[in-house]
Amino acid sequence: MNIKQSLRKISFFDVITILIASIVILFILSVVVMLIFKGIASINKEFFSKEIIFALTLSLSTASISTIVCLLFGIPTAYVLTKTKIPFKRFFEVLIELPLSLPNLVLGLSLLLIFASPFGKMLSEAGFRVIFSKAGIVMAHTLVNLPFVIRMIKTAFRSVDKRLEFIAQSLGASKFKSFLLVTLPLSRNAIVGAVILAWSRALGEFGATLMVVGVTRMKTETLPASIYLNIATGDMGAAMSSAVILLIISAASLFLFNCFQKDMR
Amino acid sequence: MKKNNMVCVNNFSLALGDFHLNQICLDIEEGEIFAILGPTGAGKTVLLESIAGIYEGEKGVVFLDGKRVCDSAPNKRDLAFVYQDYALFPHMTVMENIKFGLKMKKIDKNKGNERINELITLLKIEHLMNRYPANLSGGEKQRVALARALVLNPKLLLMDEPFSALDPKTKEQMYQLIKKIHEAFGCTIIFITHDFNEAQRLAFRIGILIGGSIRGVCESQALFHGNMEKDVEDFLIRKEINMKMVSNLN
Repeated sequence: MNIKQSLRKISFFDVITILIASIVILFILSVVVMLIFKGIASINKEFFSKEIIFALTLSLSTASISTIVCLLFGIPTAYVLTKTKIPFKRFFEVLIELPLSLPNLVLGLSLLLIFASPFGKMLSEAGFRVIFSKAGIVMAHTLVNLPFVIRMIKTAFRSVDKRLEFIAQSLGASKFKSFLLVTLPLSRNAIVGAVILAWSRALGEFGATLMVVGVTRMKTETLPASIYLNIATGDMGAAMSSAVILLIISAASLFLFNCFQKDMR
Repeated sequence: MKKNNMVCVNNFSLALGDFHLNQICLDIEEGEIFAILGPTGAGKTVLLESIAGIYEGEKGVVFLDGKRVCDSAPNKRDLAFVYQDYALFPHMTVMENIKFGLKMKKIDKNKGNERINELITLLKIEHLMNRYPANLSGGEKQRVALARALVLNPKLLLMDEPFSALDPKTKEQMYQLIKKIHEAFGCTIIFITHDFNEAQRLAFRIGILIGGSIRGVCESQALFHGNMEKDVEDFLIRKEINMKMVSNLN
């Protein structure tokens, strides 16, 4: 009876939206299922080959370093943009968010131009080599993720009740202490969420990295670069191994992110 | 002998979007309990926050204990603020909320504990110390907010409609408590209300704020006496009728 009643309540609009949602679910499911089936088939000795281990290690280390860099620069920047009065704040906000709407290839190209310039060469001579080096991978990940991290942290800082910060200060806390003891703990979940997403995005980043460091086997070979290289040479097994590893890491990151989101709600 | 002014609001004007505070002038003596009475949307909270130095006016100035309030950092102003919804730190226990000020001011531990014990006994919140604000009732939250505000023995206590969310019985208890606190700590208290019965019961003097302007300041017992402008009279008469209706119903 309940099912009948529920069915009677479904309108034409509901039917259309359910149909569209079903197409979306099937579309995404087909991609995931294909990856899983082909991936399982590729789990053989290639899965733990030297090359895949190298790509995994390089990806994990560069993604982790770039996420830390994003956090170290993102938190103070988000603070300035949300909690202080500076001139041209709106302009700076748009400027910082601009990379979000640019293709990663373009971002990589601009990094390449900067570090291939006399300034870049000067840095290289001083020991800070970016082009075709691991530092370049970190730099590319940072450029792609920093605006995203800043945006997420800004939203979190804005949602913290300003009155709590004022009360903390009226009780003797300096601005720094009130930030450390009130704003930051109350934004904790959003910051952790930003870290997880930035890290998983960095793991999968390819376009900007390709432009800055190229794709050299066992040198600048991250997991996405490994897929590209192995597809180019027709080694489907090795490409699928990297893809499966990325899928597992992404699924785990998404699961963690959702746990924190649930906690936030 | 005339006491010093704790708060002096001198020709203070402020615009916040469409809302304006217009040329506010107020002198509040040290140790006084002062009520800001007005209808909803009159600008009571903005005025109280301006006294706390949250807003800097476009014209005029607010002096706190003889100093321009906005010239000193919030942590040097020696005031405490209790908001309508109490604004307790949600990620801290009651004990951590109360201890916050003591930690920030680096008060000696023994002295601090003495102060906390005095307050928790006065406010009867011993049993709440390990709870988080989310697990407290409105009355309990208010007591905790008061303890947190008073722990540093501030010169000025600002309260934004502190009793509006409480039931009549708890309200009555809180009136007694505020009087006790005032007797015990002698701080200047400014509170906001739209309930003139509350204003008369607690305050020495009342300032009537309507449409962003102070329309009169009087002794609390003289609230319904004297000549007032029509809209002020209307506000007071409406309130008086409401109060009579409520007491008749009771």
